[in-house]
Amino acid sequence: MKNKFRILITLIATFILAAFILSGCSAKSANSKDGYSEIKDKGFIVVGLDDTFAPMGFRDEKGEVVGFDVDLAKEVFKRNNLEVKFQPIDWSMKETELNTGNIDAIWNGYTITDERKEKVAFTNPYLENRQVIITLANSSIKSKKDLKDKIVAAQNESSSVDAMNKEPEVVSSLKNGEIIVLDTNNEAFMDLEAGRIDAVVADEILARYYISQRGVEKYAVLEDDFGKEEYGIGIRKTDKELLAAIEKALDEMRKDGTAAEISKKWFGDNIIR
Amino acid sequence: MNYVGTLMYSMLVGLATTIEIFLLTLVLSIPLGIVVALARLSKIQFINLTAQFYIWIMRGTPLLLQLIFIFFGLPLIGLTFDRLTAAILAFVLNYCAYFGEIFRSGIQSIDNAQYEAAEVLGLTPVKTFLRIILPQAIKRILPAISNEVITLIKDTSLVYVVGIGELLRAGKIASNRDATLLPLFVVGLFYLILTAVLTKTFKGFEEKFSYYR
Repeated sequence: MKNKFRILITLIATFILAAFILSGCSAKSANSKDGYSEIKDKGFIVVGLDDTFAPMGFRDEKGEVVGFDVDLAKEVFKRNNLEVKFQPIDWSMKETELNTGNIDAIWNGYTITDERKEKVAFTNPYLENRQVIITLANSSIKSKKDLKDKIVAAQNESSSVDAMNKEPEVVSSLKNGEIIVLDTNNEAFMDLEAGRIDAVVADEILARYYISQRGVEKYAVLEDDFGKEEYGIGIRKTDKELLAAIEKALDEMRKDGTAAEISKKWFGDNIIR
Repeated sequence: MNYVGTLMYSMLVGLATTIEIFLLTLVLSIPLGIVVALARLSKIQFINLTAQFYIWIMRGTPLLLQLIFIFFGLPLIGLTFDRLTAAILAFVLNYCAYFGEIFRSGIQSIDNAQYEAAEVLGLTPVKTFLRIILPQAIKRILPAISNEVITLIKDTSLVYVVGIGELLRAGKIASNRDATLLPLFVVGLFYLILTAVLTKTFKGFEEKFSYYR
């Protein structure tokens, strides 16, 4: 019996050791060289996206990847003579996908935050966004203060959750002092309609899309928000040449009106910045 | 009804991936499961303990975690697989452990007299196992296998974590795009049809194997 116990302890120790070695390796692999020439040689770049994320990147009825960010990315890389391959990823794995080299860029309504800046390099922001609070039209919630003891949901691992956590006094005033995190924003909206939650916090651009899909009259968007934020394109910190190439193409597109055109196609308005 | 029609293309593409993963896993893990069962029954201490350890790991951790480990963890030590290979590897390793235990239960349920009779008839140990023991064991474990196979068809939806689009993901995409639950009902229907086909197939197997009754 004692012997078996010892074997178990050894096994557990081995696991912990392995975990340490693995975490050491991951720090090392992030310091490798600039990968842009390699991408140029291949002739294509792999952009990671959550293909459930309408209207930024999703699939149409034919299964083609479409969306605002998709059009933008295609144009940017066309100007750099690169083809784009869109690789669907699990959104909570995005930085891991990038840093293990499975994808070369995260481009899918990717909000610039300080935590993310530690793991990836961001381009200049190309879109501004607000974290809005959405309730049902007949809700008694009219301001952030009214959220006290209410149930509020947001998408798991999204910047909406980060934005709310920046105001801990609001979060702790919620029911049970926690945010309900759901897998997708669509689920959050369905939960709201089912009456199990009182409010959803989401990116304004995304929220407006859902509201227009599900019926404008059903919802109210509060004036209070959880702050402004910006979308950027995330790439590996080592790929400085790639960063410069994307910036240059985006700047050109801002000047010659291509960016405005793409924006109008998806949002009916030019909201590029 | 028209709307459901527009969903069909992406659903069928997703369904193809689901079936691909399902069949590959099944074809690879059932024979390997027999090997695991034999290793688990081995009288050589080392092989026996290794098999027990393997089964403990595979049954003791969530399949989702194993998928993440194989696809995202192993590249850190220089072992990189593409998405589908990593998914199949994780599924086969996991299901082998379960199939191994099912096969073991079947093999152990066969009466010792069968071995003795085979020896008297002059059969070699390999022949005894393949011709006498295994067929009888399979007969007994068919219901347990069919349980596991039906679980497998639904477990395939876990591959979303390595970014492979399958049936459930196709439903989720359509559901998010059109802001409606309907695509998920359609997905449910597809799974029900698949399960119905599997149930019927295994019923057929059980009848085929029910000789001597």
